[in-house]
Amino acid sequence: MFKPVIAIFLTIILSFSTVACGSSNSVNTNNPATFTNNTNVPKNNIASGKYPVQQATFNDVDGEYILMLLNTPSGSNPTFRTTNLQMARLTDEEIKNGQQTFVEINGNEGIMHLTEDFRIEYVHNETETVTNSNTGKQETVVVRQQSSFWSPFAGALAGQALGSMLFRPQYYVPPTFQSGGNLTGFGGYGNTYDQAVQSYRTNNNSIPQVEKNRQSFRTTGTIKNSSGNSINRVNTNSTKGTGSGVGTSNLKTNGTSSKVKQPSSNSFGSNKSSRTRPTTSRRSSGFGSRRRR
Amino acid sequence: MSITDRFNQFVGKTRYVVSRIFIHLQGNEVAPLLGILNQNARMAVDTDGDMEVMGECLVNTCEGILQYKTYWQSASNEGDVFWNEADAGDFVTELFTDSGQRYLSQPDFEEEEVAENTPLSLPVTDNIIVMIIVAFEGELSELETDLADMEALTDALKALINLNYKQNYRAIAIHFSPARLGERLTSDQIIINFPELIPL
Repeated sequence: MFKPVIAIFLTIILSFSTVACGSSNSVNTNNPATFTNNTNVPKNNIASGKYPVQQATFNDVDGEYILMLLNTPSGSNPTFRTTNLQMARLTDEEIKNGQQTFVEINGNEGIMHLTEDFRIEYVHNETETVTNSNTGKQETVVVRQQSSFWSPFAGALAGQALGSMLFRPQYYVPPTFQSGGNLTGFGGYGNTYDQAVQSYRTNNNSIPQVEKNRQSFRTTGTIKNSSGNSINRVNTNSTKGTGSGVGTSNLKTNGTSSKVKQPSSNSFGSNKSSRTRPTTSRRSSGFGSRRRR
Repeated sequence: MSITDRFNQFVGKTRYVVSRIFIHLQGNEVAPLLGILNQNARMAVDTDGDMEVMGECLVNTCEGILQYKTYWQSASNEGDVFWNEADAGDFVTELFTDSGQRYLSQPDFEEEEVAENTPLSLPVTDNIIVMIIVAFEGELSELETDLADMEALTDALKALINLNYKQNYRAIAIHFSPARLGERLTSDQIIINFPELIPL
């Protein structure tokens, strides 16, 4: 088990020492891999610790919380952005002692302890799915934004059977948005974010708005507009048969046209048909039956 | 495994696997599979592609294909591993588009006058091709191999079903040709549009 690890370390150390002895421009050839930062994780430069919260905003287009903090060290940005925020209610004793809403920050994660009446600003994005007529891909487009307030622990819930659980940090999903009027309570909760989404699903029989906005749905063929009970004859003098397809993805995609990832991926010309596409063979990690040829 | 992969694994990066499987079924009795495929596709359309429902559709499709094991004629697969989510997403989009162009998505229907009181007859297809694209996090050795083999393909389909109950998929797409009962896919069309298929 340790042998490969040691081997890797030795390789890395050796390659660095070679670079140190040789010219500096050999670095690029030694390390073809690019370690790009995951753009999903917002950058914060706030040291870990406890900070009082002035204001909190939740945006349901990407599920991001933006917290305005007080007492941040000088020189650091007082806004904290995260998609990984757990929440807990302050106990009555803590409130009696004058404890205000605060957040415990640990890197890019946070645990927010809220008073019962703390209101999180909720930015609701009214989205519309537009079908791109060329590709058949459904794209989510924000039509307008509405803002409302969400108090996760307000109201009757606190005294109920769930009561004692509220004081433990957990993930919460906001309730279904209703325009006009504030949101109280929560749509789902759980020890992990996925559990919270799952509990929302059992309550509402659908997924939260945030998750809906992350997902993209695509269809091809006649599946979408077929009534299912008509019988058509297809012109058979074609080189292709008919077909249908459906697909869902919640993976991010590169927004712009893809950058050059591998040296061989920038090839072009008539040979770059799907048959000879070098995706399976150009990478050592590729796999598939075509590889053995 | 290359050094880059090992390093990524070492620093705890998420591994994304994108895979596409082609399965070609041939026989006089394969046409009922189209019913399963259409039913699932319509279920997905009705829920606007809810991932959980798509997972169920994938399970139903794989189970349907496994039931028709005796009719498997040829198969092929391809895939790639990514350490960057956006690259994986792009590859899924690319595979979806590539799968979509292998069949007629907007066929021109022939108007056919059918006289009244004539018995309805439909041509029955001898061939069905199913294309399954999935993306998930982690590693699945059953999928990341050469699937142009009866045993390996069976294991891969079972692994796809199991994976749905273990964790969530990040992307699922199912294509099939021909589209409906009464439409046909001929062997010539397969040779032209699916050249990578390898007989089992």
